[in-house]
Amino acid sequence: MTPDRRVLQEAADWFALFASERHSDADHRAWKVWLDEPAHASAWQKVERISGQMRQLQSTNATASSQTLRGRTNRRQALKTLAVVMGGGALTWQAGADRLWQHWQADAATGVGQVRQIALADGAALWLNSDSAVDLAGPDHIRFLRGEVLAQAGTHGHLHLDCVAARITLSRHGRCSLRETDSGALWLTVFAGDAMLRTFDDRVEHVAAGQTIRFDSNGISARNAADEARRAWATGILLANDRRLGDVLDDLARYRHGYLGYAPAIAEIRVVGAFPLADTDRVLDALAATLPVRIHRTLPWWVTVEAFSA
Amino acid sequence: MSSNAVLHHHALRTVYIDHHGWLSAWLRRQLGCQDQAADLAHDTFLRLLARDRDLSAIREPRAYLHTIAKGLLVNHWKRRDIEQAYLQALAAQPDALAPSPETRALIIETLTEIDRLLASLPQNVRTAFLLSQLDGLTYSVIAVRLGVSERMVKKYMARAMFECLALMDTDV
Repeated sequence: MTPDRRVLQEAADWFALFASERHSDADHRAWKVWLDEPAHASAWQKVERISGQMRQLQSTNATASSQTLRGRTNRRQALKTLAVVMGGGALTWQAGADRLWQHWQADAATGVGQVRQIALADGAALWLNSDSAVDLAGPDHIRFLRGEVLAQAGTHGHLHLDCVAARITLSRHGRCSLRETDSGALWLTVFAGDAMLRTFDDRVEHVAAGQTIRFDSNGISARNAADEARRAWATGILLANDRRLGDVLDDLARYRHGYLGYAPAIAEIRVVGAFPLADTDRVLDALAATLPVRIHRTLPWWVTVEAFSA
Repeated sequence: MSSNAVLHHHALRTVYIDHHGWLSAWLRRQLGCQDQAADLAHDTFLRLLARDRDLSAIREPRAYLHTIAKGLLVNHWKRRDIEQAYLQALAAQPDALAPSPETRALIIETLTEIDRLLASLPQNVRTAFLLSQLDGLTYSVIAVRLGVSERMVKKYMARAMFECLALMDTDV
């Protein structure tokens, strides 16, 4: 134990003594001596700060405060509370008015957990991944709003995809996916044909089949080989071909309401597998069954994946 | 303003202009509420300002802001849960005096902080600490309730306080 921690431990021991009904004048004198040391005095000030907070809670309906905090570790209790508060529809609160509005505004949108296919003219088609939205501006012109889309150009002409940072022109027969990340950057992956990317300050980039690039309004920041598995979601499957668990969980999070977090320690574990996206809880359980991780469900919408320690 | 402070201010402005847009949009999607998203975006930049490091040295400002915002978001959800649990506990006491909105906000704030400090402790340790400090029970009564010795209750109390002391100066 470091000296600092030892002093904190001593302060905590004194606190526990004085909070009991069994302490003597001799204890009190001994504590006074201990307190003379400046490091001890500053540790005791911290004890006072915590005690002060507890006194503040005690001054107004201490029972309610105590119940609130004691209920917090009991997960079953928390779940019950949540179910009562939400009237059973535990997950609906997330869909706020703002999001619904965007839903109505967009020509085509999917909710969390949905995947949708849209047929366009001339054999062209569009798949919307979970929680995605596009405007259909014209027969060969799509405005990407959010989420992830897989676009298939028609047999005769180009397909234009506009997003905040650039216009993408996909060649005849071309197939590509466009995905925004939480950080606001976009990934363009070309699976067939090729794509021209023109940023709004008029820089032009060519992306060939088999390539994937990351870009934003400042230009291209990465260029890699395309991962075929990245378009499997269009068939309702999340494919992981030796991918980082952190990336798989980031993907999975998009099919769920609420928060899916993970400990940094597990992010680098490699994952191989095909997971049905229709039931993400089952996917999580499957991961826990095959990898050294465990799923911690604090609340239905709040799930954390941690390292498994026996 | 020192030249350093001017630089810092300038860097913050740049980060703000470049990143406020997507950050607000992301938070809006998480929260489903424009006002709360605006508040949390604001808090994220305040947090960045408070960290007092060289902003121009942050290589991945997006990732950095994202991490801060995620922490604030989780905290926001926790606080909301605590608030709901508290209101329920109040409602369960029909004759209880309802605290004023200001008092209530202060209480929720303190409850959230105490909950954070106690979060990693075993249930018995937490319960002992709360029964003693909030419900005013003696160690002997707590010992009976938890089915342990009084000495153990004292150990629990010391452990709970130690955890609070060790965590209280750490970031949320």
